[in-house]
Amino acid sequence: MGALAARAGIGLRAPHYGEIARTKPPLALLEVHSENFFGDGGPALAVLEGLRADYPLSFHGVGLSLGSADPLDERHLARLEALVRRFEPALVSEHLSWSSFGGIHANDLLPLPRTREAVDHVAGRIARVQDRLKRRILVENVSCYLELGEPALAEWEFVDAAVRRAGCALLLDVNNVHVNAVNQGFDARAWLAHVDPALVAEYHLAGHERGERGLVDTHAAPVAPEVWTLFREAVARIGPRPTVVERDACIPPLAALLAEAAAAGAILEASREPVAAPA
Amino acid sequence: MTALARLQRDFMAVLAREDAGPAAIHRRNVVSARHDALAATYPVVRRLVGDAFFRALALRYGAAHPSRSGDLHLYGDALPRFVADDPFAAALPYLPDVARLEWACHESLHAADAPPLDAAALARVPAERAHAIRFVLHPSVRLLACGHPVAALWEANQPERDGTPDRTEGADRVCVWRDASGVHVRRMEPYAWELVCALAGGASLEAALEGGAGGDAVLAWLGAGGLIAGFTLGEAAA
Repeated sequence: MGALAARAGIGLRAPHYGEIARTKPPLALLEVHSENFFGDGGPALAVLEGLRADYPLSFHGVGLSLGSADPLDERHLARLEALVRRFEPALVSEHLSWSSFGGIHANDLLPLPRTREAVDHVAGRIARVQDRLKRRILVENVSCYLELGEPALAEWEFVDAAVRRAGCALLLDVNNVHVNAVNQGFDARAWLAHVDPALVAEYHLAGHERGERGLVDTHAAPVAPEVWTLFREAVARIGPRPTVVERDACIPPLAALLAEAAAAGAILEASREPVAAPA
Repeated sequence: MTALARLQRDFMAVLAREDAGPAAIHRRNVVSARHDALAATYPVVRRLVGDAFFRALALRYGAAHPSRSGDLHLYGDALPRFVADDPFAAALPYLPDVARLEWACHESLHAADAPPLDAAALARVPAERAHAIRFVLHPSVRLLACGHPVAALWEANQPERDGTPDRTEGADRVCVWRDASGVHVRRMEPYAWELVCALAGGASLEAALEGGAGGDAVLAWLGAGGLIAGFTLGEAAA
């Protein structure tokens, strides 16, 4: 597969498998959660087989627990490797977070302490995963509702150091930057200003909701106006990249997701238009 | 232990108990991820006990059997045993068997695919070798013997049904399998169930058909339903 176009796609979740397979709407990318295809066989894998010829696929993992102090889960890695071999997806991504300790899984994306130790640890594990998969992966910046330990680095410094050191790419989740900026009181534009455009290989867009203690990255709502604004600024500064609109709860009719993907696509497209020369 | 490991150990301990404070968002995520995984695998158990009971059951189960994988499809395998020992579920003695059936359905759904039986190859087996045929069942086949009418309970609690079972008595022997249209649950007569169990255990056709009439009908049903994926000749079963 050649270079992936810097256009928009959606996160495909089970309620839309049938409609996507039937209607095949034009989308530049279909992202699926890798773990939903870890079975030996069955209908989910059959759906993916039916879509692979029509869409570039992105396998987005939520369970590898890259930042955990536990050993890497070899079963998990073997399943991922088999899946990647079988489908040869355009993108493979995971999260810059941890989920497990002592063999117990939270099945949630937990923030890493922003320390040099954590940078070294997670970067080493990302590198091992890349060696195993024989390809570059992307890691996503996550929402962070609490500090684990004394932070030695700003969030953008932590992300930059881990990505650079691992030799992977950044999946820049614009909503997560916004959520963290609001909750922690920093300027989201400053975050973007520190990102090296050469590291960014994909954008994520998703919705958040307001909770008791601030914004919560629920993926249960449409992309918020502030996040659209931040996305425009990111695209202007960093450049257009493949972009996925995600919804993981309160999943709307497919048409609503397609409309959001079209809006993202228009922003990516506009950034490519040559600026008119002055008369 | 590294500083990172200590932080993670301590935070996991916080997550296991706290409902308030800065960890509350993550605690909620942990609880709902486990609940939702169980609800996806055990819809009939959930309907039989009701949403509130199921939510509490998921919490008790999660405390006793926390998730051990980043793949939540593996979560919930111990629920049948857990409800069998759960004093709160003792009023529903059939619940463990229903849970066993639903876990079997879950396994069946994600089991390996298999190409259809090569009927032409089977037809070429000479009559004098037919006794040595060992069928290989489809990887999605699961066989359960239950002390309760689980097939009736399962059918009555499918989404389109009102929950009233056709039978309230019986000790169902059940075959579960998957085809292109989905997972199927079928109650079987004792002889037919024993025959399929023998085939699943790698018995030759001759051995499996011993001591009963009606074997041909069972084989025809297995073949028509796509439950036979292949066969071998001779001693070694695939």
